[in-house]
Amino acid sequence: MSDPATWLTFAPALALAGAIVNGVFGRWLRAPLHGLLASAVALGAFALSLVAFVALLGREARSVAVPLWDYLRAGDLAVPLGVMIDPLSVTMMLIITGVGSLIHVYSIGYMHDDPGQSRYFALLNLFLAAMSVLVLADSYALMFVGWEGVGVASFLLIGFWYDRTANADAGRKAFIVNRIGDVGLLLAMFLMIGAFGTLTIQEVNAAAVERAFGSELLGLIGVLLLVGAAGKSAQIPLHVWLPDAMAGPTPVSALIHAATMVTAGVYLVARSAPLFAMTPFASAVVAWVGAATALVAALVALAQTDVKKILAWSTISQLGYMFVAVGAGAYWVGIFHVVTHAFFKALLFLGAGSVIHALHGEQDLRRMGGLRRLLPLTHATSLLGVLAIAGLPPLAGFFSKDAILVYTLTSEHLAGYGTTALYGVLLVTAALTAFYMFRWYHGIFGGASRMDAKVEAGVHESPAVMTTPLVVLAAFSAVAGFVGLPAFAFPNAIKGWLQDATLRGLVEVPFAHPSAAVEWTLIAVSVVAALAGLAVGAWVYARRAGAPVRRLADGPLATFARGGMGVDGAYRAVVVGGSEGTADGVAVLDRDVVDRGLLGLGSALTLFARLAAAVQTGFVRTYAFAMFAGAVVLALVLAWTGVRG
Amino acid sequence: MTLWMLVLPLLGAAAAAFAPGRLAVVGAVASAVATFATSAFLAGSGALSVAWLPALGIDVTLDPFGVRSVLVTTAALTMVPVVLTAARRPVDERRRYLTALLLMHTTLNGVFLATDLVLMYVFWEATLLPSLFLLGTFGGRGRRGAVTKYLVYAITGSFLMLASILAIVPLSGAASYAFADLLPAARALDPVVQTWLFAGFAAAFAVKLPLFPLHAWLIDFHRENPASGVADVAGTLYKVGGFGFFAWAIPLLPDGAAAFQPILLPLAAATALWGGLAATRQEDLKSMLAYMSLSHMGVVALGVFSLTPLGGSGAMFLLAAQMLSTGALFLIAGMLHERTGGFDFARYGGLAKGAPALAAVTLFALFAAIGVPGLSNFPGEFLALAGGFAASPWLGGVAALGSVVAAGVYGVNTYQRLYQGPPGERRADLRASEVLVVAPLIAGILWLGLAPAPQLERIDASAQIATTAAVDPTAVPPHAADAAEGPERSPASTALAAKGGER
Repeated sequence: MSDPATWLTFAPALALAGAIVNGVFGRWLRAPLHGLLASAVALGAFALSLVAFVALLGREARSVAVPLWDYLRAGDLAVPLGVMIDPLSVTMMLIITGVGSLIHVYSIGYMHDDPGQSRYFALLNLFLAAMSVLVLADSYALMFVGWEGVGVASFLLIGFWYDRTANADAGRKAFIVNRIGDVGLLLAMFLMIGAFGTLTIQEVNAAAVERAFGSELLGLIGVLLLVGAAGKSAQIPLHVWLPDAMAGPTPVSALIHAATMVTAGVYLVARSAPLFAMTPFASAVVAWVGAATALVAALVALAQTDVKKILAWSTISQLGYMFVAVGAGAYWVGIFHVVTHAFFKALLFLGAGSVIHALHGEQDLRRMGGLRRLLPLTHATSLLGVLAIAGLPPLAGFFSKDAILVYTLTSEHLAGYGTTALYGVLLVTAALTAFYMFRWYHGIFGGASRMDAKVEAGVHESPAVMTTPLVVLAAFSAVAGFVGLPAFAFPNAIKGWLQDATLRGLVEVPFAHPSAAVEWTLIAVSVVAALAGLAVGAWVYARRAGAPVRRLADGPLATFARGGMGVDGAYRAVVVGGSEGTADGVAVLDRDVVDRGLLGLGSALTLFARLAAAVQTGFVRTYAFAMFAGAVVLALVLAWTGVRG
Repeated sequence: MTLWMLVLPLLGAAAAAFAPGRLAVVGAVASAVATFATSAFLAGSGALSVAWLPALGIDVTLDPFGVRSVLVTTAALTMVPVVLTAARRPVDERRRYLTALLLMHTTLNGVFLATDLVLMYVFWEATLLPSLFLLGTFGGRGRRGAVTKYLVYAITGSFLMLASILAIVPLSGAASYAFADLLPAARALDPVVQTWLFAGFAAAFAVKLPLFPLHAWLIDFHRENPASGVADVAGTLYKVGGFGFFAWAIPLLPDGAAAFQPILLPLAAATALWGGLAATRQEDLKSMLAYMSLSHMGVVALGVFSLTPLGGSGAMFLLAAQMLSTGALFLIAGMLHERTGGFDFARYGGLAKGAPALAAVTLFALFAAIGVPGLSNFPGEFLALAGGFAASPWLGGVAALGSVVAAGVYGVNTYQRLYQGPPGERRADLRASEVLVVAPLIAGILWLGLAPAPQLERIDASAQIATTAAVDPTAVPPHAADAAEGPERSPASTALAAKGGER
């Protein structure tokens, strides 16, 4: 423990302690104390992350393993628990605890009059603890502890206001859909045990690169890992829980359902980078699932009217972007987008929270408008967030999104799996993103007010405890991209930082290297796409010239998109209906057939049953004793003859 | 130490039965606590062997080796809150409750510790009595039917097992009924003979497990047991079918086990799925818990019948872990019944507003029961399913998908129906006496969940014996080696060994 980097090991324990104090003793604390305590814990964990970051920066070998204790031991399998502190886990920890701290502080203001504060902050700290375990774990087994742990925290926070059945249902849905994904992860682990005899991540990676390139086993493990990743990161077809998860308090949506937990799937693939680098097939499945999700979610976002649901679908879409990046083999690029997205999406959610807070719970875009004057600080920071996610240079989103586009087009890892088509899908998505985010911005802040006069009269800018996090996040959304400037012409800090931590020098992923002119052209294309999206949005919504498009918003197509393109309905009919029907059948069969049928199976058994029932009329005790004594006597007699014979 | 595991609860039972007034309760609680405290030192203590009926080759041999000590310790921990709960029964009932529970604990420890086959059988049958007594005396309206069904199933199974027990010594020529004597002799038996003997054991163990479709008694047993939940927990401790397979039938008769695996493994997967699915559609808490328990037993069976050290160890760990988690849930069900007078979900909803601590404890136990990692059931469930997956990827995979997802569904559904939604009538939160009841179980759930390795290591010692012959005939324990090398080398075990080698 003399190495300061290893202090990060204590981050989960610190957060867990905070959760226990608030959870058990919270009822004896007074109102701002819960939030202050929880925020102090989050900041403490952030400080530990910073220490580890600085410590790793100054050295050559940037991977520190901290062994903890033995976990599983059976047959030939041994699963020791340990923590892996390297650039990848430290980057994730900086985001989780950094953005996490800001959201903790923001929550003090947002939740100030909620009676359940101690529970809220206990759960927020519990989430931090579980998420820290997830990213620090050195084995898939320990990662799974954090993996289901964040699911538990997410379940409880989505259903935080549980007296409304709809909220409790949303939490349940998230948990159950995530469990389906978790089975994928479980099966992947079973395969690893069989094939490699270990669950330690780096041992699995090292063993994977020894296998034949593109082997079926690696492909299967990769696809099963993807199933787990898709559940956590809300990728098609397991995306259905995330829009419902907006039932939780808005800071929770910002922290868990935008900035951190939902990126766990991307992290999982990046952590298993050498394995995925050995299987173009599984990588292509990752990329195509991501691309399909990116496009479909962007289309659905076009038609939403709830300010949080637009952001939720946008998150799903952006996560799709990250999946394409890690699928294409550009692991550091995927994590780069995780970082920038954490800033601007947390900013947008907290901005939306500030609006909802000011409007006393109103979330419908159609009953907002004109808030730029009433909420100047929220407006300014949100505008910056919109431009960042739209991908306007030099804001953070531009650099990470552009890197994804370039690396997708030039990926030789996915050669033969349609890199050009992937690029095209992402480019269209980029334009759509700029468009629907302008709609979001204009609906809230632009144009004339559509609010009730009564509501409008009560609107006030949020207190400093809420606006300060907005300003900090806005600053990072503006400048965070500079760590990842296009590498062909500029210094790029984050690539070197993350590359070794993902691929660990075990294997190379090939990319084509186009000329500088082509690179510049690609940049120009992505800027044009963003500008086009914003311009069309302005033309339709701000200029009021796009009446035909707006009319489309009332048509059946929009209704279809608003409902998530019928996926939820199909699920309810086929999966939920089917499994409930089966379970009903099982329950009935069990009661009416297994329960009765077995007794009537053989005549001997039936006789026995009648016999027992007849004797049963007396004392159960007498009968049972007679049975027991009889058995013992029988045993002794038979044993006697047995031994003698 | 080993003998104290029988003496201490027996003394407690005597105190509960005969001591005057409050002394009966004090004696019972003290014996439960002392049994647990002593059991903590069990792992290192030696075997005990006292001649009983030397002419028959039957001795009192008790050995806390391997998995046995783990199960005894966990059961002893679970008994503390059970006895505390029973001590709160009305005066006229509690004497009978406590006596029956502690007698059951005595005989249960006998089942776990006995290394003489006949002695094990005696305890096996004896454990049935207190459990029947509680059900028959204090059970619900349908207790008659439940008792009958329980008896028919148990006796039919036990009778077939008895036949096997009686046949195994003359057939194999073993010197006695001691496990050490039986092991080399029985393993040398012809595979056909082994298969028939295994069938007899399987009948008793499969009913007790219970294995689909022999589980009908379990549901009635839990539905009709008294509301306080203590009898249900006792029944949960007594789910020793998996232990019977693991500690007796499979090591003694590896060729029989191999012959039955194609039947038992699918039945195990079916049990896990069937129980899980049925649990999602129950309308009352106790039935839900009964089917949940059935699903767990399916996973236990899957691990055991995988005939791998991985699966066997996981199964035994899950058997210990579910004592704590399922036990906690049955006791909590009793607490809820005390507040509302029933188990129907329709009576519940929104309880978390008035009873947040009770809600938190329930959720904790539910999460433990559905295998959330970091809590008690997960290591066992994970390894058992991994073993099943190794033996048959399809069965293991389907069982994992079905039981894990179904567990998620019935876990959070149950929580919602009890505690979430619009608050109804306000109910009392967790009382101090109830904190005392759940605290040992919560501590145990964390203990097994966070640091399972020491227990798994002990279990592994047993798993090696249970599975070496089944997967690798060259690796049987030294004293059994001569017998195993006979000319009648079984084709089944050689084939299985080859399969094991491929893996």
